[in-house]
Amino acid sequence: MNTREDEKWQGLLLRSASTFVGETEPPYGFVTSTLTRLRAEQVQVKEIERIGWRALLASIAALAVAAVVTISVNFSDRGSDFEPGMRSVVQMENIQVS
Amino acid sequence: MDEIPDVDDCLRRWKVGDQAAAEELIRYLYPVISRIVRTHLPRRDDEKDLVQEILMKTFSRLHQYKGDAPITHWVSRLALTTCLDRLRAQKIRPEVRRADLTPEESDAFEAAWLTGSSPDAGDAIAARDLVDKILASLSPEDRSLILMVDLEGRSLQEIADTTGWSISKIKMRLFRVRPQLRQLIQKLEERK
Repeated sequence: MNTREDEKWQGLLLRSASTFVGETEPPYGFVTSTLTRLRAEQVQVKEIERIGWRALLASIAALAVAAVVTISVNFSDRGSDFEPGMRSVVQMENIQVS
Repeated sequence: MDEIPDVDDCLRRWKVGDQAAAEELIRYLYPVISRIVRTHLPRRDDEKDLVQEILMKTFSRLHQYKGDAPITHWVSRLALTTCLDRLRAQKIRPEVRRADLTPEESDAFEAAWLTGSSPDAGDAIAARDLVDKILASLSPEDRSLILMVDLEGRSLQEIADTTGWSISKIKMRLFRVRPQLRQLIQKLEERK
């Protein structure tokens, strides 16, 4: 059921209808600026991907180095009477151990 | 651009970096997005920026487009969601009062009875500003729903396709929002 308020509302919409009509053509320069922004974003995405891969590879390399160092220290300290790490101090200070 | 491009072909070419395909898509989708932005957001200066933002979103999510519905439907939904997000971010829901209307808006309110007369550009803008003020009191979803029904004359099914809401949810929202809208108009009448 249409009330007085509904009619008023419809009247307002009718009077303002022309302001709701969208543009059929992009304004001058819009397509060019959008394409430029699009290209810039693509470059940025590729750059982020590249940085991501590099960071991942660097992390893997760092992990591998840490693992090798840990294993080698473990092997070099094996059979020693000293706590791990102490042997190198003893060697450095040239302490005679009987 | 009057000619409808072969969207599938454009998408294929765009994926291999063809900028001409992107341009065709931008020109094809621009009117669709422009209409939605102009309808669902209050009259504003940064409309072009928002249209561009929606186009950027469209291109960054093109891999999600399955092709089971026309691309304009998919883009319309994306545009509407972006508009609703923008309205939600504003959060301000001022209640419209007669005393706050400009003289032009007040005239537009009075002239709204005279449906026979066609308004000039200034009157249309004043009427639009008043429509925006009235709708600002509603939630973003209710605002968009009212405009889809009353301004665009869309069917419930069309609204469901665009918004992703169920038909019963749309009916329920309409049932709730219609009295609110009447009340807002009534308040403007009372405070003459």
